[in-house]
Amino acid sequence: MTENIVEARGLVKRYGELVAVKGIDFNIRQGEIFGFLGPNGAGKTTTISMLSCLLEPTSGSATIDGLDVVRDAAQVKRIIGLVPQEIALYPTLSGRDNLNFFGRIYGLRGRRLRERVDAALEIVGLSERAKDAVQTYSGGMKRRLNLAAGLLHEPKVLFLDEPTVGVDPQSRNHIFENVERLNREGLTILYTTHYMEEAERLCHRVAIMDEGRIIALDTPQNLIKVLGGGVIHVGVQDGLSEEMLSKIRQLSTVKDVAPLDGKLKVETVDAQRALVDIIAIFNQADAAITSLEILEPNLESVFLHLTGKRLRD
Amino acid sequence: MQILSITWKDLKILFKDIGGMATLFLMPMMFIIVMSTALQGMFDSGDTGQPWRLPVVNLDSGDLAAEVIAQLDNMDGIEVETAWEGQTLTRERAEALVTDGERAVAVVFPADFSDRVEERLDDAEARATIELITDPAVSTQFIAPIRGMVLGAAERVAERWLASARLEASLAEVLAHLPRSAQIPLDQMTIEAEETNVVHVEQVAPPGMGIEVFPDSYQQNVPGYTVFGVFFIVATMAESILREKTEGTFRRLLAAPLPRPALLAGKLLPYYLVNLLQVAVMFGVAHFLFGMALRQPAALLVVSLALAAAATGLGVLVATFGKTQTQISGLSVLLTLTMSAVGGCLVPTFVMPDFMQTLARFTPHGWAMQGFQDALVRGYGLAGVWPEAAALLGFAALFFAIGVWRFRFDT
Repeated sequence: MTENIVEARGLVKRYGELVAVKGIDFNIRQGEIFGFLGPNGAGKTTTISMLSCLLEPTSGSATIDGLDVVRDAAQVKRIIGLVPQEIALYPTLSGRDNLNFFGRIYGLRGRRLRERVDAALEIVGLSERAKDAVQTYSGGMKRRLNLAAGLLHEPKVLFLDEPTVGVDPQSRNHIFENVERLNREGLTILYTTHYMEEAERLCHRVAIMDEGRIIALDTPQNLIKVLGGGVIHVGVQDGLSEEMLSKIRQLSTVKDVAPLDGKLKVETVDAQRALVDIIAIFNQADAAITSLEILEPNLESVFLHLTGKRLRD
Repeated sequence: MQILSITWKDLKILFKDIGGMATLFLMPMMFIIVMSTALQGMFDSGDTGQPWRLPVVNLDSGDLAAEVIAQLDNMDGIEVETAWEGQTLTRERAEALVTDGERAVAVVFPADFSDRVEERLDDAEARATIELITDPAVSTQFIAPIRGMVLGAAERVAERWLASARLEASLAEVLAHLPRSAQIPLDQMTIEAEETNVVHVEQVAPPGMGIEVFPDSYQQNVPGYTVFGVFFIVATMAESILREKTEGTFRRLLAAPLPRPALLAGKLLPYYLVNLLQVAVMFGVAHFLFGMALRQPAALLVVSLALAAAATGLGVLVATFGKTQTQISGLSVLLTLTMSAVGGCLVPTFVMPDFMQTLARFTPHGWAMQGFQDALVRGYGLAGVWPEAAALLGFAALFFAIGVWRFRFDT
């Protein structure tokens, strides 16, 4: 899993005064699931649009399997699959009719088309509902068929743009299982989401995006390590004495203490144990705690730690 | 193959849309059937197949009114009714027929009709009056021909009687001055006026027009409402393009190895084919169910092909102006109705003022109507309809050019 199949250098996308993507660099290794994690408007969809040749970058470059996304767009389109954020299906046609149509667009015909449609339906678990009109499907089933349409031509790289939005937990799990299975079979996947649990579960590496920039890129585990055992935000009344600050810093469960917007931000080795120690110090000093917030070590906390914002504001 | 795949997909979607199909096919068909049937009397009346039925009340104490009535009854295209439900028509009954809408016009010869004509022998200002009982809501254009026929027949009878009376009087005076032996008893002299149709009016067509019969109600209305219905495709097509953009299928197609011209062509072709099907269905129903003659089928086909191109071109253009379904729907209705009205689909252009007849030439509808009527009514062949076909293709090219230039593939 060492060869890069997707390479992006200085990608920028500008819409007039608005710069949606502000110069991002990343590589995606062959066979990995690469995540883009960020809130709505971070630039995830715009990035996928540039990689899938829907938008021309304002500047910068990107290649997929060595093919430039601008100069070699026609060839790139043959080897990528796009599962858009919208349910990009024809509601009055059946599931099978939808897949037959998209398969033909990719040049599949006759028996090969039938085989691929059957295989795609099997992967997403919709074989029994294939003859029904898409408009009769649940939201989760539509998302699954949406995924199936992106797999028909056996792409080398699959772009999944927020594939679980509005989906029930059962279908969501089905999609996760499909993604993991496809990846085990060798498919490289770029997965965008604003759900940190999806990124943590599925992605080998995650790029955290905010306001058009990648602010962090690493494995989920390494990203979370930034938070150590967790971060505690302690609201204090009338500030803290140096003596108390010093005592907190010296706790074995605490890595660092710093003021943050009128609160105390405590980076810990173990948040639960650190909390007990901190409360004891406050009790001894007879000082009041006005608020407490524990950021467990996860990507959402990482995002908050890095940007001061929540993923789903 | 990709174009055909998109075409087939869109045709399947179209034909599953019952409401859409009803709008495209049933609505213009309904207009054709209703309006053709309703206006059949206006177009077809006045020929031997369907004469105007004219109630006539004869109150004349003399014989002249009866002669006028006999002349009217002899005219082609008129059927005089002097009785109703077995009883001689009275003035009151005739008025009731007009009031109730059974008849648009009734004629009443007053009691002094013959007397008034006779008075003319001594008084050059004397005039006999015939009453035309008409519904004020009926168009003057409908009344005028009937008025003309009644007046013409009455004038002929009156003038013949007056001429005969004057001649008899002059002869009597001359004979009175001849010797008795030279006098020939008047009763042995007969001045007969033969009741012959000295003048006959024949309706002909200009050179080059190979008509044998005149247009019926269907030949006038079928082209009009067919062209009207064909342009309904504008809304259907533009909405489909917008839906593909907003629902994401366009995005998926653009991410596929599908050239943009092929995507556009694939979107246009199904609507082009539906247009042709509309024309075929409208004309087919009119021909097989209502007996409308389909003259010059090759010319009809050429005009149809060009018309469908203009309609689908306009669909592309409208798709580039509307950002929402409501905008597209509103713009399509505005364009379709306005151009249909101006172009002569709803009202014949020859009844319009000159400036509007000129305006009609700036609509594809006007050229389509002219093309269809050239073939169906005037009997022109391929050579005769090429100007109209060329104009329609010109509109198509203009609409496509602007539409493609404005088209945004961005989603």
